[in-house]
Amino acid sequence: MDILTGNELLSGATVYLDTEGRWVEDLQAARIFLPEEAEARDAAIAATKKTGRILSLEVEAVKLVDRVVVPLRIRERIRAAGPTAPAFERQHLDEDSHVSI
Amino acid sequence: MYRYDEFDAAFVRERTAQFSDQVRRRISGELSEDQFRPLRLMNGLYLQLHAYMLRVAVPYGTLSSRQMRMLAHLARTYDRGYGHFTTRQNIQYNWPKLRDIPSILADLASVEMHAIQTSGNCIRNVTTDQFAGAAADEIIDPRPVGEILRQWSSLHPEFTFLPRKFKIALTGSPNDRAAIKFHDIGLMAALNGAGEIGWSVYVGGGLGRTPMIGKLINAYVPHEHLLSYLESIMRVYNRYGRRDNKYKARIKILVHEEGLETIKAQVEEEFAQVRGGRLTLPQEELDRIGAYFAPPPFKSLPVAAIDIAREKILDAAYGSWLENNLHPHRVPGYVSVTISLKPIGAAPGDATDAQMEAVADLAERYSFDELRVSHEQNLVLPHVLVSDLPAVYVALVEAGLAEGNAGLISDMIACPGLDYCALANARSIPIAQEISRRFAAPERQKEIGALKIKISGCINACGHHHVGHIGILGVEKKGTELYQITVGGDGTEAAAIGKILGPGFEAEAVPAAIERLVEAYIARRQTPDEPFISAYRRLGDAPFKEALYGTA
Ligand code: SF4
Repeated sequence: MDILTGNELLSGATVYLDTEGRWVEDLQAARIFLPEEAEARDAAIAATKKTGRILSLEVEAVKLVDRVVVPLRIRERIRAAGPTAPAFERQHLDEDSHVSI
Repeated sequence: MYRYDEFDAAFVRERTAQFSDQVRRRISGELSEDQFRPLRLMNGLYLQLHAYMLRVAVPYGTLSSRQMRMLAHLARTYDRGYGHFTTRQNIQYNWPKLRDIPSILADLASVEMHAIQTSGNCIRNVTTDQFAGAAADEIIDPRPVGEILRQWSSLHPEFTFLPRKFKIALTGSPNDRAAIKFHDIGLMAALNGAGEIGWSVYVGGGLGRTPMIGKLINAYVPHEHLLSYLESIMRVYNRYGRRDNKYKARIKILVHEEGLETIKAQVEEEFAQVRGGRLTLPQEELDRIGAYFAPPPFKSLPVAAIDIAREKILDAAYGSWLENNLHPHRVPGYVSVTISLKPIGAAPGDATDAQMEAVADLAERYSFDELRVSHEQNLVLPHVLVSDLPAVYVALVEAGLAEGNAGLISDMIACPGLDYCALANARSIPIAQEISRRFAAPERQKEIGALKIKISGCINACGHHHVGHIGILGVEKKGTELYQITVGGDGTEAAAIGKILGPGFEAEAVPAAIERLVEAYIARRQTPDEPFISAYRRLGDAPFKEALYGTA
């Protein structure tokens, strides 16, 4: 199963597409696309590209562990958590940097 | 120090204005990301894992206090209160927002700095010895030539779309502290039979996926013909460099595939045509630029001995700092001071805004307003009176910058790795932190002596792992981080590329593996003064392989 992720244009912040079609900071709110939902996923990608506001758009494989979304790649786990050493909070969206499709 | 001439100042102003407009148009949607991306990269703005990253050039690693204060101001105002000094003698900001970039660039321009040519397939920021203009072993201050190279290469119309990025490093000393043999072109000051100073030119060095040691293409090029000669190399590269394959596009591959003699013949042919032409550097021009780098008004003093043994008894930490962080100066009574950006357990190369301010104050008060950035991710006060050392040390202690570990095992290079970098496979910083903590005790570090550990988070090798006496390379294996360890690399004039001795290690196992290498060395060194790298050369791989993997 997959999620969609990218970086928001103004802040550069890591964001995920949620079930409402909004690009949000919270990985746990990410919409999960099952293998049979490839069409919906591709439509979401196309709609996102049209906004021109989400960069480095990627499809990322995840698994659910006790209902928690866990990306398979360590790279994605670090993107979701922020730098680890020393730990820094992730970049946040600004008021005017909310994007939806 | 060099000051922008009219042309430079106008150009940077114009570029800043252009980019402000481009940012505005990107935000309003007039420019797409595909259109904007090359523009932002031309201005040093990358997108990393968590945010944008702005890379600011510090040409030949030289800064004034005023410039350092501006870097502190940027960290405080637009970022999160810190910046990261890199192996390219640049500084990177990890958290700027797109809308702030024009203001940041304008602020930089106000102190004659910019972020141009820190990305893209152009000639990048020229790097040099961090003790340039100060070192006792220097034949010539390399910075005037560095500046001439900067002016020549900046926005050179022929060289804005090279097959790949291009890095030039130079050293005015026979003891290479700038890793010149690992650059596309490396220059080392040389004397001819008549005692005149010119340059030995090395070509085709580099790290990354295919590490190569630069090859001597010309043992002596006089000053006046240097630009003509370099332009000849660039033309050959531009014409024959492999644009078809990103991984083969660096000049090192061209030199390797075609052979040095072929390239040399092509360069000579080109040189024969351009020699004596518009790129000839008249002595007056050299003198004019050189005047900007005129030595500060040093006092005339007797040689000042420092009784380190005595100081160590009085204050062990101060004694270690004196022992490790001073470099001989060419003027009696002065030394260069390395300010370690490697406190135990910290992220190598990071400095807070307050630390940058403190360092700027010290430079102003004690080092004729001058500062340097080293490729080993430290800062340098180039010209400090021996009698001022106690005061400098006290101020550094206050700023949390008094670690006396320059050149020792905890003075590691580490790239940002997977904590920040979009290209990374594995983290570098936590590995450096763990090793630093493991070897924290000053007595232990002293026992081990000179040892360079260099860590990269991917094969691009920004952390110079290939030339670490011990190198650590992060790779990804089955979704986790794995670390390959190399031994025997050397970035100096005795250039060598480290060897991988066996399979990689998981992160938790790396510090213990390093400890085993260190133990193997200590057990076998001939005297306590035989450094790790010499012992490795004498002993070969076997004992180190055994230390890492056992005898099985
Ligand atoms: S070596 Fe790799 S991980 Fe490290 S900074 Fe360079 S590109 Fe990024």
